[in-house]
Amino acid sequence: MAALDYPPPLRRLIAQLKTLPGLGPRSAERMMLWLMHDAGRIEPLVDALADVTTRVHACDDCGFFIENGQECALCRNPKRQQRILCVVEQPSDVLRLERSGAFHGLYHVLGGKLSPLDNVTPEDLRIEPLLARVKSLHAEEVILAVGSDVEGEATAGYLNELLRAEGLSVTRLAQGLPAGGALDHVDELTLYQALQGRRKL
Amino acid sequence: MPARPANSTENPATRVSTRPLPFSPAFCSRMLSDLLLRDFRCFTECRVPLHPETTLFIGRNAQGKTSLMEAACVLLRLQSPRTSQKGELIRLGATTMLVEGTLDGKKVRCAQSATARRLAIDGAVCGRSGDYLAQSGLVVWMDHRDMNLLRGGAEHRRRYLDFAASQMFPDYLKALRGYERAVRGRNYVLKRDAVIQWRQADAFAGVMDEFAQVLRDRRQSLMDSVRPHVAKVHHDLSTGAEAVEVSYVPGFSGASLAEELAARRDEEGRNRQTAAGPHRDDLTLTLNGLDASTYASEGQQRSAALALKVAQARVLEEAAGKPPLLLLDDVFGELDAQRRRALLGLLPPGTQKIITTTTLDWARDEVVGGMVYGVEVGVVKQIEAGEIL
Repeated sequence: MAALDYPPPLRRLIAQLKTLPGLGPRSAERMMLWLMHDAGRIEPLVDALADVTTRVHACDDCGFFIENGQECALCRNPKRQQRILCVVEQPSDVLRLERSGAFHGLYHVLGGKLSPLDNVTPEDLRIEPLLARVKSLHAEEVILAVGSDVEGEATAGYLNELLRAEGLSVTRLAQGLPAGGALDHVDELTLYQALQGRRKL
Repeated sequence: MPARPANSTENPATRVSTRPLPFSPAFCSRMLSDLLLRDFRCFTECRVPLHPETTLFIGRNAQGKTSLMEAACVLLRLQSPRTSQKGELIRLGATTMLVEGTLDGKKVRCAQSATARRLAIDGAVCGRSGDYLAQSGLVVWMDHRDMNLLRGGAEHRRRYLDFAASQMFPDYLKALRGYERAVRGRNYVLKRDAVIQWRQADAFAGVMDEFAQVLRDRRQSLMDSVRPHVAKVHHDLSTGAEAVEVSYVPGFSGASLAEELAARRDEEGRNRQTAAGPHRDDLTLTLNGLDASTYASEGQQRSAALALKVAQARVLEEAAGKPPLLLLDDVFGELDAQRRRALLGLLPPGTQKIITTTTLDWARDEVVGGMVYGVEVGVVKQIEAGEIL
């Protein structure tokens, strides 16, 4: 006799949930139980997912999300500086930089970072569109706002080589002390980098 | 049966004051005065008060002696020389291990489950391991595997460099981890495609370069301070008959690793792996001008390995201004009486030592003042001096 298991639809649901990042078999099972506990929980979720597939897509230029039928609020905004481009890993980074209010140029979302060990190659990232865009915009400066971990640094180095060949000014975000913090809350390494990157007053 | 606390005749304060010590304040303050293990390796629960100078653990093989020392090493440095798998430290059947100790009057605690680690100093949770390590003490571990420093492959000598340098330089471990990750990524790029994507490989070489500079600088300055000590210690161990010279051989020679790799493109294309860098660093040891790994005798190699470790202890002491905790795993049993006495004399004075041994025969001849514990299948009990002598 076969061992008892959940009915096939539930097993399929668990398998689908398991493909989400950060969810293992136990978490997926717990979510399935939570959804099954109250039938009213499923409908809004299905509705939201359907809404996403029919009403949202990524902007062909910057890669940030826009609602179908609307223009990209970033790329089509004439008030923004058109010749300065900020390269980020994920769409969420666009929001973070926007909230800082310090940047008024255009964005370009890569969709990840170079990571051979995770089998992410340059072809998986939006690098070709970036080069095409830089040319058509006649960009003057490209800011590489990718992370400062090993893969982020490698991605920045890779893009730097490509973009400098186009004769562009390429910059990288500074590293150092957090704003408004005293020295006693900073670890030695950050302090070391802040010292290396000190500036003249 | 729980271990009893030290009896009053062994008051640490009186012992210290009778000895002339150049840095007695550091000695008095910097020590691990007790150790608590819970679900660590073979120990369910075990509390051991430690002596400010010498604590001896005696027992047959496979009773848990080394695990006790390992616990002290994990508590102070958050790493074990025996394993890189944190899960192995947890007792079979348990979910979380805990090591706690009193270092310098502060309660330090390290708990590890299969997925998470929790560190605390004096009850305050320490989120970053860097902060914890900065407040913790330094450690030197000596055991029979030290012979690999001479006879084994270069990875043993690099591990020697890493163990000491990560305790001396706060930026070392991060550079090492970053470098290893970048090399892994780069080697994968070199192996992955039929036609090598050099631009990607170069991007990773650029990341490696920065870390490589840090590693080479740190290893170089570590060996600059170790070299004279090794020569001196070996000179004393061999009563002046032999001269040992140790030198650091970096895995890349130029100013820039990225440039050197670019120049060796053909070789990398053939071998499909990174041809130069700190992952190819090594140490060379010569004895009276000859390569020690091939020409030195068994005993000479043993002395040279000891010299490297004693030198490490002295350098760590110089760097931190306080002597490190010495963990000696079954080292004395293998030495003859003369070398044993010489080694005891060469260790930095005033250091706290934890020693394991299978037999106390050798200790009857030496003056080993301190606490003596017997270890049997994960149970530790103090032995009265009269029982063994």
